[in-house]
Amino acid sequence: MTALLSQRPVRRPRGVSLIEAQKRKLFLPLVGPAFLFYTLLVVVPSAAALWISFHRWPGAGPMEFVGLRNYPRVAKDPLFQQAFLNTMLILVVVGVTIFVLAFAMSLVLRNMWGKGTVRAVIFFPHLVNALVFGALAGFIFNPGGLVNTLLRPFGVTEPPAWLAQDNIFVLIMVTLVLTHTGYFTTILMAGVDRIPPDYFEVASLAGCNAIQRLRYVIIPLTWEVFATCAVLWTISSVKIFELIWVFGGSSGVGIPPTSSWTAAVYTYVTAFSGQSVPAYGAATASAIISLVTVSIIVLLMRRIMRRDAIQY
Amino acid sequence: MTSPTPALAAAEPGTVRQSPPPPRRRRSRGSPASRAERNPLRMVLVGVLWLAVALGIALLFWIIVQSLRDTRSILAEPFGMPTSLEFENWSRAWTVGDFGRAAWNSAWVTLVSSGLTVVVAAPAAYYLGRVDTPVTRFLSNYFVLGLGIPAQVIMIPLFVMLSRLYLTNSLIGLNLVYIGISMPFTVFLLISFFRTLPVELEEAAAIDGTSPLGTMMRIIMPLAKGGIMTAFILQVISHWNETLMAMTLLSSTDKYTLPVALIGFVQQQTYSGADWGGLFAGICIVVLPMLIMFLFVSRRLTEGLTVGMGK
Repeated sequence: MTALLSQRPVRRPRGVSLIEAQKRKLFLPLVGPAFLFYTLLVVVPSAAALWISFHRWPGAGPMEFVGLRNYPRVAKDPLFQQAFLNTMLILVVVGVTIFVLAFAMSLVLRNMWGKGTVRAVIFFPHLVNALVFGALAGFIFNPGGLVNTLLRPFGVTEPPAWLAQDNIFVLIMVTLVLTHTGYFTTILMAGVDRIPPDYFEVASLAGCNAIQRLRYVIIPLTWEVFATCAVLWTISSVKIFELIWVFGGSSGVGIPPTSSWTAAVYTYVTAFSGQSVPAYGAATASAIISLVTVSIIVLLMRRIMRRDAIQY
Repeated sequence: MTSPTPALAAAEPGTVRQSPPPPRRRRSRGSPASRAERNPLRMVLVGVLWLAVALGIALLFWIIVQSLRDTRSILAEPFGMPTSLEFENWSRAWTVGDFGRAAWNSAWVTLVSSGLTVVVAAPAAYYLGRVDTPVTRFLSNYFVLGLGIPAQVIMIPLFVMLSRLYLTNSLIGLNLVYIGISMPFTVFLLISFFRTLPVELEEAAAIDGTSPLGTMMRIIMPLAKGGIMTAFILQVISHWNETLMAMTLLSSTDKYTLPVALIGFVQQQTYSGADWGGLFAGICIVVLPMLIMFLFVSRRLTEGLTVGMGK
């Protein structure tokens, strides 16, 4: 994570100038408020989460210290295993699909007519709450919905039950790909646009086809942007919640079918389902397991993806 | 080819012998560069992209159209056009689904927390981006670490903390939470942005006798307007759509923000028979403000997203 801050501020010579000294007096008034907000509302709650995860606690009454016991308990829960597996599937399968598509699009988009329009349209889903896509999918795929109406003229009289429990998760993954690809394409494209056009000329003069151009020009020169995007996707994929939650609404139970849960949904249901005794300790333990997993993945990814920065 | 370098000029199509000739070279016409752009796979991909664009626009248009039709005709003929304009859907969503109240709550929470986030984060980012000491280096990393903390980790402790302060089911409490969780990203984005501004202007102002605070307020902040605006817009988007924290912290319908109201509406319908007309109206109330904003700021937005990325 720390390597995200790749640029260092302008270095000053050893002796601190008068101007600089005056500026430093502003440390507290300038940095203080942001520090307080962030510390009180993010850092302290994170530490508290760790503390709560060592207890059995229904949210009211005394907390009973159980040490690390919540962790094996959560890890053995089949619901958590399913949710965790789903989160990893989203991270890896959806992630790889998104980046393959985004690179393919950046190849084509680079000098395509109407590039601005295309980019704006494929970016827009990023601004729309995922709930909307969930609600729409509920309409489009319900038994009397759009898809089945469209399939009828083709002689499909018994269409698959799109919203059956077994299919919902696949549908969710497809929706995620459709709605996120544009966002990452936009970011990658900004990297591709900074590559001097001469490089593409040279590549095509050397007889590169599109795939070679991707491999020898685009990927090496946008590597840093790509690496940052990969970290961004990893971090945001564990938070996915709304899209899954709304499928619960459209399937009629209120809580989504367990086969489509993610780690975030597991945490929410364990703490606030309103149907069983809330288990704050187990819920935070599951959240912390996801946090630790993501941190490890991010660290590994940064290690594997580290390349010497190419200057151009 | 805009301005060929000597090496490129030597490799013009007429004198290609320097580079190893690829197999297909002699068969087609045009410069190698333009030929590479015209292969069939590319044509297919371009077609697919335009198809996606057309479908995207059609979907948006379709949602707006459906929000004006009554449920029975939507189900009977999903692609039909409205025969009469059922503005009733909108008013029903507005009252029954409480979207009116929720839209007001969302607008208030979004604007106040995004505004305050920027007001709090910009000075900090300015200081951290400009002054290089071990402390500021540590603090920059301290802020960045927060980017990796998923909302579900802090959701329960925040709920407990705020309920002790009587700030659950309160829009002020939600505002505070949004400001807190936006700090890492906003500070990170603005640090990168401030570093792109020239230091010389500040030094000139300081030499002219402007106090450091005056320099910041009168020289730097006006210069940084673009970056600050981008940070503000990005916060507006994320707060307008935020769902998990709002679901956790708000418990009565009169405090619901739009996403929470939308979930409530979807669930309510599965019991009382689907009111698709009303649902589409609700979706429009969530989506259209973002669309209108996007039409005005799309360029700034996509540029702003890439400020913090590597190079």
